[in-house]
Amino acid sequence: MKSHVVALCLMAALALPGCKIVKTVAEGEGAAAVAGEAGDDARIAALLDKTYDAELLPLLAKALPVADLRAALAGGLEAAGAAHGNKGSGEGAAWNFAVKGEGKVVEANLTSRARKAMVDTDGDGAADVMLQLGPVIKGSSLRDVAPFYRFGDFRDQIEFAKLARALNDRASTALVVPEGELVGKSVSFAGTVDLKAVGDAWLVTVVTFAVAP
Amino acid sequence: MNLNRRLFVGSLTAAVSGILPTLSFAQAKGIIAIITPSHDNPFFKAEADGAAAKAAELGYEVMVLVHDDDANKQNELFDSAIAAGVKAIILDNAGADASVAAVQKAKDAGIPSFLIDREITATGVAVSQIVSNNYQGAQLGAEEFVKLMGETGEYAELVGKESDTNAGIRSKGYADVISQYPDLKSVARQTANWSQTEAYTVMESMLQANPGIKGVISGNDTMAMGAWAALEAAGRTDVIVVGFDGSNDVRDSILKGGIKATVLQPAYAQAQMAVEQADKFLAEGATGVDEKQLMDCVLVNADNAAKLETFALTA
Repeated sequence: MKSHVVALCLMAALALPGCKIVKTVAEGEGAAAVAGEAGDDARIAALLDKTYDAELLPLLAKALPVADLRAALAGGLEAAGAAHGNKGSGEGAAWNFAVKGEGKVVEANLTSRARKAMVDTDGDGAADVMLQLGPVIKGSSLRDVAPFYRFGDFRDQIEFAKLARALNDRASTALVVPEGELVGKSVSFAGTVDLKAVGDAWLVTVVTFAVAP
Repeated sequence: MNLNRRLFVGSLTAAVSGILPTLSFAQAKGIIAIITPSHDNPFFKAEADGAAAKAAELGYEVMVLVHDDDANKQNELFDSAIAAGVKAIILDNAGADASVAAVQKAKDAGIPSFLIDREITATGVAVSQIVSNNYQGAQLGAEEFVKLMGETGEYAELVGKESDTNAGIRSKGYADVISQYPDLKSVARQTANWSQTEAYTVMESMLQANPGIKGVISGNDTMAMGAWAALEAAGRTDVIVVGFDGSNDVRDSILKGGIKATVLQPAYAQAQMAVEQADKFLAEGATGVDEKQLMDCVLVNADNAAKLETFALTA
């Protein structure tokens, strides 16, 4: 029993100072990051500084319009993926695509920490994409859409996962969702979608979002 | 005291099931050793079965061994496998740090190792390390848990065995998601060492200390089963339980409306993949793929539980 308590305290002690260590490291600009997990946050932050604006945003700027991506998918996920997407690392990983579109919000949940808007992009009155509006963003699509973020370049799945989270946080922080009702409004968006099968529901990780005045 | 008894039982099981050279009469290609934790947990049995089936299919004999999460015992099993002149070792290891030396020893003896399920802390020692993306899986489980909890309430976490890297990875994956919901309050977090009986006891005391618990997120399915049994005994079937692994036991519980969700690790397919890579490596000297390979996990809940069988989802 005592050893459990000690172990828990130890874990807590180890978990908490994580942020502090990062700050210390981050102060030494350009200094070699601390090896191992303690240095993860600093390494990831440096990687984001280097790649988010310079590589990821330009990649997302080439997003396909929703209708074009749907047309490409009609020829099969593998073919569409090879032409327009990137596959996440590992067996069974999803294909990820940069996508953009506009449409009318049919339904929205803005009370959840993971806010969402269901949008009709093809004008048939039914929602066909679900937009993630943060602050909590699910998945690793922003990471997996980019061929320059490769699992093999990371220490382990934890460090790789931290990259996905950091990208989600960066995107989420930049999102501006106006106060008030969204349903009925026209919106435009750009972001990424991950698909394991052609018929999967589209959950878009939104990087830019605007509501028509 | 408890621990000693478990170790003793563990070594007894080992003595009985120590070496089971399940012979398949396709000679020529030699023996593949399959070393995993105890088959008491159906997850590890599925791994061993998947590897053995694929090995037999490819024309190998198999030697199925269990290390019971004891690194010393694993070391001895490696000695036995090396002495038996096996061609390759399929390993679900007994400790991320402690296993490096054993795998190195086999490598020095010219025997390649192919790791499944758990990583080791060194690269370039094993030929392949094929692991489930436990972090991704844990995030899936946690997202479902958060949804079931309605983003609010008191919850407890059952953590796995500390020497197993996956215990920590899953716990971190859970925390990564749950910590983003300030209205979810962690009131208890304790290890039950992957054990169903231990989880029962831990859950009982957690419940006594925190009667307001609304949900329990567990690092694996056996602990989820133990927790659920304790909750049932206490008349608290209102508590939301989410597990990890995708066992048939939890599938059945989900279908009966008990445990709410789990995360499937494709254990059977993963073990088969490792044997295929071993076969390719033995024939061609390379697997053609990276050493470290991830496999995505899949959320299992009432919507798809009926399709789950022996750690695989049918179409």
